[in-house]
Amino acid sequence: MRPNPGLLFVLPALIVLFMLIAYPVAYTGILSVTNEQGQFTGLQNFADVLRPRVTTQALWNTLWWVGGSIVFQVLLGVATAVLLNQTFPGRAIIRSVALIPWIIPGIVAATTWAWMFHTEFGIINYMLTGVGVLPEPIGWLTGGQTVMPAMIAINVWKLFPFVAIMVLAGLQAIPQELYEAARVDGANYWEEVRHVMLPQIRPVIVAVTLLLVIWGLNAITIIYAITRGGPANRTLITPIQIFRLAFENVEFNQAAALSVMFFGVVMLIVLVYIKALANQPGDNQ
Amino acid sequence: MTRMKPLKLAALFALSLLSSAASYGTASAGEVVWWAPNWGEARAKELAKKFMDANPGITIKMEVTVSNGLPERVLTALRSGSAPDVIEVQHGWVNGYAQGDMIIPLDDVIQDKADYVKAATDYVSWNDKLWGIPYRIETHGIIFNKDHFKEAGLDPDKPPKTWDELTAAAKAMTKSGRYGFGITGGGEVGNTIFRSLPFIWMNGGDIISADMKTALVNKAEAVKAVEFYTGFYKQGLAPKSTLENDGLSLRRLFIAGQVSAYQSGQFDLPAILQENSKLNIGAFTIPAPAGKQTAAILGGWSYVIPKAAKNQAEAKKFVQFLNTTENQGFYTDTFPARNSSLKLARFNDPMLKPFAEMLPYGRPVPIHKNWVKIVQAYFDGIQRILLGDQTAQKSMDQAAEEIQALLK
Repeated sequence: MRPNPGLLFVLPALIVLFMLIAYPVAYTGILSVTNEQGQFTGLQNFADVLRPRVTTQALWNTLWWVGGSIVFQVLLGVATAVLLNQTFPGRAIIRSVALIPWIIPGIVAATTWAWMFHTEFGIINYMLTGVGVLPEPIGWLTGGQTVMPAMIAINVWKLFPFVAIMVLAGLQAIPQELYEAARVDGANYWEEVRHVMLPQIRPVIVAVTLLLVIWGLNAITIIYAITRGGPANRTLITPIQIFRLAFENVEFNQAAALSVMFFGVVMLIVLVYIKALANQPGDNQ
Repeated sequence: MTRMKPLKLAALFALSLLSSAASYGTASAGEVVWWAPNWGEARAKELAKKFMDANPGITIKMEVTVSNGLPERVLTALRSGSAPDVIEVQHGWVNGYAQGDMIIPLDDVIQDKADYVKAATDYVSWNDKLWGIPYRIETHGIIFNKDHFKEAGLDPDKPPKTWDELTAAAKAMTKSGRYGFGITGGGEVGNTIFRSLPFIWMNGGDIISADMKTALVNKAEAVKAVEFYTGFYKQGLAPKSTLENDGLSLRRLFIAGQVSAYQSGQFDLPAILQENSKLNIGAFTIPAPAGKQTAAILGGWSYVIPKAAKNQAEAKKFVQFLNTTENQGFYTDTFPARNSSLKLARFNDPMLKPFAEMLPYGRPVPIHKNWVKIVQAYFDGIQRILLGDQTAQKSMDQAAEEIQALLK
């Protein structure tokens, strides 16, 4: 029997895919169970990396960061999309302007925000104390209670335009007849939103949220550029911990072990999410 | 040269391009490849030219490095087996290279070792051998605003000598949005290590013991020093932004007149005057606890010759040329490591005097493979105190526990 010609044709692509994806993943797995000399050490690296308190703290910070970011990104994004879907003069310009945060490179945005939030030089404190909202400057990035919300606010600002654009595309795909039918039945504007718009864009929101979860779990730029995980690890999220372990402490094996565990947690979250939301009964996709 | 035909010139140019392309990174016979940092480029060129004029058989090929990512770049070159012949590296890196058998000992190269500041040569020694030639050394001092001193009724000619006097001066100068003494509590870990570890040393403590087996950071001497350091923030004598400030932010706050004094090296002086030449600035040595000696972390740069260097004999000759009293004094950005060079006119500036006085008290940081993690644990502890999470003792107890786990 002759070999399957189709297989031969996809072979080059498969080889490239293998080298770019399978090999690094497998190599990380190997690194996580060996020491620097390449000897097999079982679960030693996992134990070493789990022992410090900071690992647990980083995991909680990560969940807090991802959860907080997503709620506001989706709410603000959907609201913006609904607004931009209305007809009003200058709509095209507003639509373009709304995209700006998403277009600005992450490191540029982060550094700018760091300066804006600065206790002494920052424009935020300058404005708030200037009009008398605050009696004295707040240390946004230095207060244990304010630093993570500040990071989340920056992340929301950075990514809500993406949600808005995706949802807007979904809104424009809704057939006009559905609104007309609802109006014939006597629905007011808010009932239209609730019973026509939101059900129609649900698949978009589900997909976008999944993307946001994955991006949030991998996000390192904003936090690393502004606080490096500080003060006192208040904003240390697991990806930054992995980065620190690997590239500041040169502990590639422990970093790999933490990556493997983090990968497991992320897969679990994504699976649960897909099972719970993406395939609900009654979904007519 | 001026009468050469254009075509001939072009051919020559092409030839030189070809040869430089072929020799990139490695040296051909009689050629010494020198990795020099960009801040000294102009002076380095001058020295290279002088050397080549005096030694027609040897060509110096300069490759300019930048500080960002330099440790990784040097390590890669040293490991790859095709290394340059002379590299400028920070003192603290030398030991690791020596232990990794990547550079050659330079005991036969150093001229008049007794002339060198001992802390500097000690820093680059390992296993009774000298592995680098230190040519630039520096420590922190305290830079202060003389006008703020006067306004607070203090005498700028009699700066604080003890911890209590420093705290008192900071208190006197702190008022209406102005802070008496700026400390760092953010940015890269190194900023805060450089500024707070010396206080622990002055008080007779350390982060880890000399044999590197025990964490000492929660012992009374260390905790007292940490309390002294963080106290400036706790008592409102350091800016509210302390937890996000590194050395650079302190300098900006100082230039803006919001901070009256802070620790830094002399390299900040020209930067400050360039931004605000009206500031009336001075410097003094870092105060110690009453009756004790001051201390500082010794920083700076050394020359090393890689084991993989192609032209070691020529490289040694060149390093000797670079380290004559005169050339070392000419090339350094801060201070030279040779006492005889320090006598050159260039270092006579009265503003530099306190920094020069600090040099004998400069100490190397311990060389431990987990040092980066150790100082991170200590730095987290400092931040917990600044945040008000824990008392100094509690926070250092936790840091000591984490550091102890790293010393195995």
